[in-house]
Amino acid sequence: MVPPKPVPKTKPRRGIFHAFKGNLEALMIGVKYFIDPKRFTLIYPKEYNKLREGYRGFIVLIKQKCINCASCARICPAAAMKMIRIPEVDEKTGKQKVKNWPVIDYRRCIFCGYCVDVCPTEALYHVPYHDVVYQNMAEMYLDLESFQKPPEYKAAEEGIPVRYIVDEERGLVKVPYKEGEK
Amino acid sequence: MSGFVSTRGQVGFNDLKIPGAWSRKIGKDLYEVFIGPQHPGSGHMRIIIRIDGDVIVEADPDMGYVHRTMEKLGEGREWIKGIPLYERMAIHDACNVTLPYVRAVEQLLGIEAPLRAKYLRVLLCEINRIAAYLYGFGIFGVFVGHSTMYMWPFGDREVWIELADWLTGARLTHSYPVFGGVRRDVPADFTNQLRKAIRYMRKRLEEYRKIYVDNPVIRARLEDVGVIPKNLAIELGITGPNLRASGVLYDVRYNDPYEVYDELDFEIPVFQEGDALARVWQRVEEIKQSLRILEQVADWLDKHPREPILHDRFWKTAPPLHKKIFETEGRAKLVPLYALLKVPKGKAYAKAETARGEITYYVESDGGQKPYRVRIVSASARNAIVFKYILPGHRVMDLPTIYGSIDYFPPEADR
Ligand code: SF4
Ligand code: SF4
Repeated sequence: MVPPKPVPKTKPRRGIFHAFKGNLEALMIGVKYFIDPKRFTLIYPKEYNKLREGYRGFIVLIKQKCINCASCARICPAAAMKMIRIPEVDEKTGKQKVKNWPVIDYRRCIFCGYCVDVCPTEALYHVPYHDVVYQNMAEMYLDLESFQKPPEYKAAEEGIPVRYIVDEERGLVKVPYKEGEK
Repeated sequence: MSGFVSTRGQVGFNDLKIPGAWSRKIGKDLYEVFIGPQHPGSGHMRIIIRIDGDVIVEADPDMGYVHRTMEKLGEGREWIKGIPLYERMAIHDACNVTLPYVRAVEQLLGIEAPLRAKYLRVLLCEINRIAAYLYGFGIFGVFVGHSTMYMWPFGDREVWIELADWLTGARLTHSYPVFGGVRRDVPADFTNQLRKAIRYMRKRLEEYRKIYVDNPVIRARLEDVGVIPKNLAIELGITGPNLRASGVLYDVRYNDPYEVYDELDFEIPVFQEGDALARVWQRVEEIKQSLRILEQVADWLDKHPREPILHDRFWKTAPPLHKKIFETEGRAKLVPLYALLKVPKGKAYAKAETARGEITYYVESDGGQKPYRVRIVSASARNAIVFKYILPGHRVMDLPTIYGSIDYFPPEADR
């Protein structure tokens, strides 16, 4: 393999016609984009960005899979994931016992995804959206019940999904989202 | 230059009315103007200048407005939690600023990332570098009043952010490298989109040249402004593209290669002039080289089949479910060991080339679950001193030009 090599460079020289040529070039390119502008503004909330699978959005718990190991709470860098003690009745023996369950505090979460990645049973997953609205701060601290439901995604109810793809000529372009795309 | 008697407290404030800046008279024909920290073009930083008429006679960069005690916070949390923390120094350059921390801890653990993970790290580092340069261009453009150059790079930066988002799952705070590897493999079809983005960016750089860098109006404002002579650049210890634009060859990727940079074929452009225009050209040329690196990384990734991207020490304890998810989704799940990781006693030192220059980490462990000390010297902290030596002698009009061309980023400097 070839290692990197240094290359001395100097600024391009300014020719005698630079003032004329440079201004003309700048104007031409301005005209080009005046006629054919490149726009990819998201008309939110009429449209919403359908994010790709694997996006680290809000987190949901699948309680049936959870083994109460507390790995997620231990690795959380923002102390957003916490274990709470919930008393319950054991089905087989009928005895009272206390179990630890994870809950999330969205006032603190930084969406690093460590908890989802560390969970040994895939009991946590990300939903691919992040534009969720809460009425007040207290609501952002979820309890075990609401942690199991995907948060309400208002934009998806009202808007049409679009997706951004890279185009060789125009950079980022907005295309309508086709059902089934990942 | 110096030697004036400060008459602090004897003269009324606001003798000189400058919108957005606080000023006062401090001597005959001498005014002190406070630029910032409320961002009339200074970022979260203040530059105190003393002006005689329109000419700056003295300048004092006054930083620390976004100091978040990063180093101290790092001491209170487990090793892995440092990654999302240090990332917040420069979120649009996230992979570059956290990589040396990861590498220093890897040194202490005595492990090295697998080859594929190294290529993936380089991939994200260069995507971040391009995005960070474009961010710098945008800010610079609006500083000199060229609003087209503000909109364009920010729009094109979105291309790279979209790619990074696709790769890591987050637009800016990727938290991508972890000890012994990275967290995700490239999704299917990623390299094709990457190649499209590379070809697009090459065309765009030519358009940038026409509308901005070679535009006679802009050129007149940038040329021979804020010249950092070669010996002064070395003396002040500045770093990154600013140093290289002054004719000094120093790039960590070249002088002390890390990851796979010594296997890639690219150039280190070194401009000689050291003025604001040379610094812009320096960045344009470096984007071209980053594109070249990305092309090679894309080829490499296409040629080589998927293999584990975490070091065996962590990967061998992974349950079958982890392996299945890696094969189907390309997501390398973390083993619970990461949260409880004990790093052997010792000291390590690592550095990397970020978009703004060299960043160095000194990491010390006492054998526990948390670092004993993490010392960070970031690139912007080293570049800030430039203002003190370069601004005097220039007109106030040149201040935004110089500030923009240095690409100073306060959150990174203040840590
Ligand atoms: S995403 Fe990160 S911050 Fe949020 S709960 Fe999970 S581990 Fe904690
Ligand atoms: S890591 Fe997974 S299994 Fe363990 S407590 Fe958290 S959600 Fe439950």
